[in-house]
Amino acid sequence: MFKRVFKRGVFYRTGVILLLQAIWLFCALSARADDDVIRADMLRLAHADPAVRREAVTALARTGDQRLEEFLESYRMGSIYIWKDRPVLCEKTVMDEEMNELAPLSDPLTRRPLMNNGRQVVVPVEELTGISPTRRERRLAGRAKFLLRLSSPDAGMRLSGAKKAGDPPGITEAAGLLMKLSENDPDRKVRYTARESLLLLRLNERATEDRLAAVRELGEMKSMRALPRLRELLREVTGGDPEAGGLAARPLRTARGLVRSHGAPAPDSAEHVYRQAIRKIEIHQGFVDYFGSMFQGFSLGSILILMGLGLAITFGLMGVINMAHGELMMIGAYTTFEIQRLVGHTPDNPSDWYYVLALPAAFLSSALAGYLIEVLVVRHLYRRPVESLLATWGVGLILIQLVRLRYGDNIGVNAPSWARGGIEIMQDIVLPYGRCFIIALCAFCVLLIYYLMKRTGLGLRMRATMQNRDMAASLGVNTGRVDRYTFAFGSGIAGIAGYAWTLIGGVTPDMGQTNFIVDSFLVVVTGGVGELLGVVFSGLGIGVLTKVLEPAAIGSFTVGAIWAKVLLLLVIVTFIQFKPAGLFAPRGRLADE
Amino acid sequence: MSNVALAKTDRPLGGVRWPGMHNALLLLFFAGLAGVPLLYYTGQISIETVNMLGRYMAFAIVAVGLDLIWGYTGILSLCQAFFFSLGGYAMGMYLAHHGGPGGMVDASGWNIPACLYVVYPYKVGEAPGDAMLPWFWKPFYTLPATVALGLLIPGLVAFVIGYFGFKSRVRGVYFAILTQAITVAAWLVFSMNSMKLGGTNGLTRFDKIAGYSLADPDVKMAVYIITLLCLAGVYLLCRHIAGSRLGRVLIAVRDNERTLRFAGYRPHVYKVFAFVAAAAIAGLGGMLYTPQMGIFTPANMEAGMSIMVVIWVAVGGRGTLSGAILGALAVNLLYSFFTSEKDFILFTWKSEYWQFVLGGLFIGVVLLFPKGLCNIGRCFTGKH
Repeated sequence: MFKRVFKRGVFYRTGVILLLQAIWLFCALSARADDDVIRADMLRLAHADPAVRREAVTALARTGDQRLEEFLESYRMGSIYIWKDRPVLCEKTVMDEEMNELAPLSDPLTRRPLMNNGRQVVVPVEELTGISPTRRERRLAGRAKFLLRLSSPDAGMRLSGAKKAGDPPGITEAAGLLMKLSENDPDRKVRYTARESLLLLRLNERATEDRLAAVRELGEMKSMRALPRLRELLREVTGGDPEAGGLAARPLRTARGLVRSHGAPAPDSAEHVYRQAIRKIEIHQGFVDYFGSMFQGFSLGSILILMGLGLAITFGLMGVINMAHGELMMIGAYTTFEIQRLVGHTPDNPSDWYYVLALPAAFLSSALAGYLIEVLVVRHLYRRPVESLLATWGVGLILIQLVRLRYGDNIGVNAPSWARGGIEIMQDIVLPYGRCFIIALCAFCVLLIYYLMKRTGLGLRMRATMQNRDMAASLGVNTGRVDRYTFAFGSGIAGIAGYAWTLIGGVTPDMGQTNFIVDSFLVVVTGGVGELLGVVFSGLGIGVLTKVLEPAAIGSFTVGAIWAKVLLLLVIVTFIQFKPAGLFAPRGRLADE
Repeated sequence: MSNVALAKTDRPLGGVRWPGMHNALLLLFFAGLAGVPLLYYTGQISIETVNMLGRYMAFAIVAVGLDLIWGYTGILSLCQAFFFSLGGYAMGMYLAHHGGPGGMVDASGWNIPACLYVVYPYKVGEAPGDAMLPWFWKPFYTLPATVALGLLIPGLVAFVIGYFGFKSRVRGVYFAILTQAITVAAWLVFSMNSMKLGGTNGLTRFDKIAGYSLADPDVKMAVYIITLLCLAGVYLLCRHIAGSRLGRVLIAVRDNERTLRFAGYRPHVYKVFAFVAAAAIAGLGGMLYTPQMGIFTPANMEAGMSIMVVIWVAVGGRGTLSGAILGALAVNLLYSFFTSEKDFILFTWKSEYWQFVLGGLFIGVVLLFPKGLCNIGRCFTGKH
């Protein structure tokens, strides 16, 4: 029976994890049973011989008792004393009426007050012997804290401990524990990090063979943490050749070419091993960076799509340029802020459901604002795009000033706590949840709009009005009402864009005017006005291109945000040269207008 | 798509449509030429007020240029502020060369202007003494070269934008958005410290113009008079263009470009011409503005500034050159009125409320007086 269960991979893996967790639990329990041993070690902290004292710190760290983390901190602060041959904790002394200094005592391990006849033990300070660590011991205790984390039951704590152990200057005492973790920790990430840190520690070893083996394996693991250290070592190997580091930083082809011209190092020489490892890691890093930029571009593009969709609808439908569209986005962002304030969400005291509530609120408030703008201003400006541009710019100015008077210039929207982490889909490639959410939201909105336009009666009337207003009116479409609803709907989508933006960017009253309105018009112009699909493609294209251009470097010149924008503009202008009507130009009679 | 509507309602053939307007403008010119100095020298107004009027006239020059391209040729350009700034920067560099405390002298003997070394970005390993004056500062050392370049550079930039834009038939709002995007990009670039144009601090420390001290009230008055004469000159030039055969072609471009093309004209040539002329005029405005302002920052080419130019023309009356001048002066006087704090009975007017006035002006002019102040009479009588 057991055999059958074990044959199935899933059960097998679950079984191993359960087993390991049982071992952890056992370890934790057995550690607790050994409180007396720990107390004995604590006493040794006061030993006269510094070697014994240091040994005591290490021994404490090795017990893996998580309660010791706080103890070590108190030890570093000098709050641990010896009283009647037992270790005690006293964080603060008190004075009685006769100005005698008294010390209330607590247990150093449990941190509970020491009780005697139902009252905390309070003794005169003279009865206490202080354990004051030297600087070296204090540093050791700091490292011991991370050593302790290696045996924590919490995977996140183990991970941080494993990471710290390998980071310079490195915690050499951790080697044994790291070895164990790297082999049988249930968490893959912890296993990887532990192995990485172990190898990083080995880089400090004297024996060349061991070191080179570690270098080879780090290269195989594509460890990005090892890169600066490896470059440093390579520089040592090549005798401080200043070009060596730069050489290694070049892409593959250059590096190989230059190395050849110097006379290639022997395949098993130290230099060759270092170069190989560095090259592998650099290729991996380039890939990770590129992927990161792409993903950022996709989320920025999603926001641009949301903005562009609303604009394309109003522009295509009514021939109206809505310069206040950026302000409608701003209203969405401020509604999110207002909901957060009402719910009382703060980073320390999170109420994440405010973000769910804010989505319809942002849509509705922006839609309402859009509805009012349509009724009061835009209605009079059909097919007069230039005049509508001026009037809606004025609307935008008023909205910005209203918000500025109410909220001031800077507000902070705190993202809900779930938006902070990310999924690691491959080694070192983390997709932040916030950005994933934005992309999903955008996809949802695009599908919704597509459905609305192509499958509902309202959408039919909208398209009819868009194609030939007079004809639609003569066939009984209430074009005025269609306009109002369409404008409100497009505005609401802008509100959603603002709502999504709060996850990744700052919120200011003039965010629409300075950051978004020009970009989203470029999206619409590039995409072609009549076709929503064009907006999707051009939005994604512009978003991704921006983020891919930004970190690009030509020689020693990094493109940066501003030149990326200029370059992007050049690309768009050149594109318009060839396709003046955009990516998806309207055909037939519409094209003439 | 708006051609039909425009042809019916808005067809000036250039020059003045309302005879009273012409006289009003003439009166205004003489008031500016004789009245303002008289008021100043009799102590009624301060030199700062004269200076302010001079700046507003520099704005009016830009407005006349925009009216040529927008009012007559029907192309909305949202990069007039960029051209204005190109002129402004040209003059700013000239003034900075001759201003400020005597600063560093670089290896080739050029004095590095004070406003430049405040934000001078040294490269790694470069000592302050190694700094060199950037090459593009050098042509702006003499006044004649500066004036020529201040007209040429905006014209050249406009030629490139216009040639590629109009050749591929980018029209109407598309062109407006394209030019706005260019302005935003230029604003970002000019704000960078590494451009060596003073970054967001802009160009400052102006002392002397053509050897005369800018702090001297008489010099300020002279600059004001020069601005006024330039405004009159630009107005007359544009009026001449508008009244000529060329002007008729421009109006034809606005009203029905396709018919014009069928008649054998090449509209893009005329469009490029009008665009370049408007740009050079805006550059002139910028050059006159800088010495009267005493500082020139990239804030002058923010997206909102270009739209401000449009609203000046729209308020005054699109397609009437006198309207552009009156609109620019009126809106700017409103600005200086509404940005000072005032106490009413129950309510204190604050300068930040100006944005509401401005926004209201945008909406009100477009909805209520689409033909501008110059044609208010027509709005009521219904005559076209």
